[in-house]
Amino acid sequence: MILSERIKKETQASHRKRVSAYVWVTLGVILLTLLLHAIGMSGDLVNVALVYLFPVLVSAVYWGMGPAIYAASFSVIMFDFFFVPPYLSFTVEDLRYLISFVVYLAVAILTASLAGRLRQQLEMVKAREATTNSLYALSRQMTAITDLNTLLVNIATQVSLTLGKPAAVYLPDGQGDLLVTSSPASTSEGEKDGWGDGESEIAIAKWVYHHGQIAGKGSSTLRESPGLYVPLRTEEQIHGVLAVSMNAGEVHEQQEQIRLLEACGGLAAGAIARVKLAEEARLAQITAESERIRTALLDSVSHELRTPLTAIIGSATGLLENDTLFTSEDRRELTGNIRDGALRMNRLVTNLLGMVRLESGMLQLNRKWCDVGDIISVVLTQVREFSPHRNIQVELPDEPAFIYGDEVLMEQVLVNIVSNAIKYSPDESLIVITVTSDKSSSQLTIRVADQGIGIPEAERIRIFDKFYRSESTQHVTGTGLGLAICKGIVEVHGGTIVAEANPGGGTRMRINIPMEAHGSRFPYSEQGEVED
Amino acid sequence: MNGPLGARILVIDDEPQIRKLLKVTLQAHQFELHECGDGEEGVIQASIVHPDLIILDLGLPGMSGMEVLRRIREWSQVPIIVLTAKDQEGDKIAALDAGADDYVTKPFGMGELVARIRVALRHVAKTTDEPILRFGSLTIDLAQRQVELEGALVKLTPTEYEMLKVLASNAGKIITQRQLLQQVWGGHHHESDSHYLRVYVGHLRKKLNEDPTNPRYIQTEPGIGYRFLLPAE
Repeated sequence: MILSERIKKETQASHRKRVSAYVWVTLGVILLTLLLHAIGMSGDLVNVALVYLFPVLVSAVYWGMGPAIYAASFSVIMFDFFFVPPYLSFTVEDLRYLISFVVYLAVAILTASLAGRLRQQLEMVKAREATTNSLYALSRQMTAITDLNTLLVNIATQVSLTLGKPAAVYLPDGQGDLLVTSSPASTSEGEKDGWGDGESEIAIAKWVYHHGQIAGKGSSTLRESPGLYVPLRTEEQIHGVLAVSMNAGEVHEQQEQIRLLEACGGLAAGAIARVKLAEEARLAQITAESERIRTALLDSVSHELRTPLTAIIGSATGLLENDTLFTSEDRRELTGNIRDGALRMNRLVTNLLGMVRLESGMLQLNRKWCDVGDIISVVLTQVREFSPHRNIQVELPDEPAFIYGDEVLMEQVLVNIVSNAIKYSPDESLIVITVTSDKSSSQLTIRVADQGIGIPEAERIRIFDKFYRSESTQHVTGTGLGLAICKGIVEVHGGTIVAEANPGGGTRMRINIPMEAHGSRFPYSEQGEVED
Repeated sequence: MNGPLGARILVIDDEPQIRKLLKVTLQAHQFELHECGDGEEGVIQASIVHPDLIILDLGLPGMSGMEVLRRIREWSQVPIIVLTAKDQEGDKIAALDAGADDYVTKPFGMGELVARIRVALRHVAKTTDEPILRFGSLTIDLAQRQVELEGALVKLTPTEYEMLKVLASNAGKIITQRQLLQQVWGGHHHESDSHYLRVYVGHLRKKLNEDPTNPRYIQTEPGIGYRFLLPAE
């Protein structure tokens, strides 16, 4: 239930209660008098007086001071009228009884005031508990949110629910203006929706934001405005302004609500500061990462481009300028040099373009069923051109293995992996490509094992990072892009790629690719043809 | 027609460096070279020069290479080899299906380009339908519908035979998946049926005793189609 409504209802209820309290006290005292009369205790005045303290205590505990004093006075009158001689008369025979009345009244009032104060404290504690509960709920909801906009909407909604009034949060937009996030239309009172985006409201919010002081109805500044505005402040800065639309109410009630709003404001400020800090930390991390990549890109590209360019320009100018100096053997060597440099630059450009396409999300998979054995044969045709001195063995499963993927990209992955195996292993060594399919998990596994220098365990994950080059392979040329591209391509196919130690020494790359598409395997159906 | 030697080649490419490269090297290979730098002029030149073969860059400014290809194909069956950039499989397939005879990916080696030119010119030169195709130890008797490998008869299903026939009679030329589907299955095929091709090619390779990792006869061009390899000369 909305707190202010509850308070209002309680005040109304207590009005009714107070009236009925006096009726109850009257009835009780009359009943007690009748009872005392009936059991004939008229002789024992001291006990009668003590018994008359009961209604006083009861009304003090249940209804507070007013009814208690009323009960005490009414009891004295009844006591005097019925029990103090002369009976059935207000006159008092013995004047000492007047002292008794005074003492009785004093005791009654004292007891009543003590009991009443106790009651007040209880009510205050209850109210505090309700406030604490709603603040706790608010804070719990806010800590779970990491997105600033969601947080602002949530704060406005929660504050509006807690106070039962439309609320709005103002946050600076970076150009000195304040942006409003209003609570959704208040359901309870049917207010116009989106309170808080009017010009006057924003103007007051701006004042509060710049001065860091509370303003609006119930505060000391701008008290004639219909809203109440508190700054959202953490130790070092003001993050924004929280405002609620107040309606006319008691001053006492307003004080209570200002306190509540300030508490909400404190929580909201904390939450906003937290989200902002998290966002800043994330941005800082991204900036640092992109800075690192930019540096690595520049280093790598400038080196990888300059080296072959130097070879090409040097060889070509040499051939042009000193044509007669060279033997035909020299000339072959120099032109071969030009070709190799150009091929190397071509690989770099291909890799850079591949990386850009992967990163920019421009990579569109052209997925079809493709035969892995077929892809491997294409890969081997490509790598054979530049690796005549390797013994490459292929072990394929008996049945053709199909995956649902982009043939060209998978070929690129395998060319990269097999080229690496060749690059980091000695001449005449063995490279084994194994394809296995696991029917139960519908996974196809491609392993490329070499007998090369291997990868230290600590680096087996990092080698898939962009521009990462293992320390031990600095002498081999490369950009550090190939494996990053492989990983990107394999992952868009829903697969994984890892580097392992080859049991016989060297490296073994393992690629897992799902063999299913849309929950079904390759539609491998013969058409039942017979051979001629 | 005077065969590959002395054939007239028209180069349509906007890059002067590439034109110079092609001019110098192809003239050294005894071809007669004509060149032009943009598509519109290329279409006109094609009708004036009457080339035996056209080398067309797909990435032309102004009138696109694809448009030039379509204009020329409206009236001429002259062999056309397109030059494309890498990783543009879509463009290659579109050009081949629009009537280009073959493609070469930039950057290319000269040996590769000259081989493609020779294959394309040979297919035009072949006027009479040979009833028997021979590729090393493989013989395909088109009249008898019989295939022999190393003197032994190879048993093929009708579909396998049709595929082999289409590929082998276009030996050296690329055949796109769509062209193959169309020529083997006729009108009853679907673009998504291309996976059947892989199954049949797999069977065919097995029956031709192919090394799956190093095929002698049927080579896959990833994402595009298949090429029946000419035995090394």
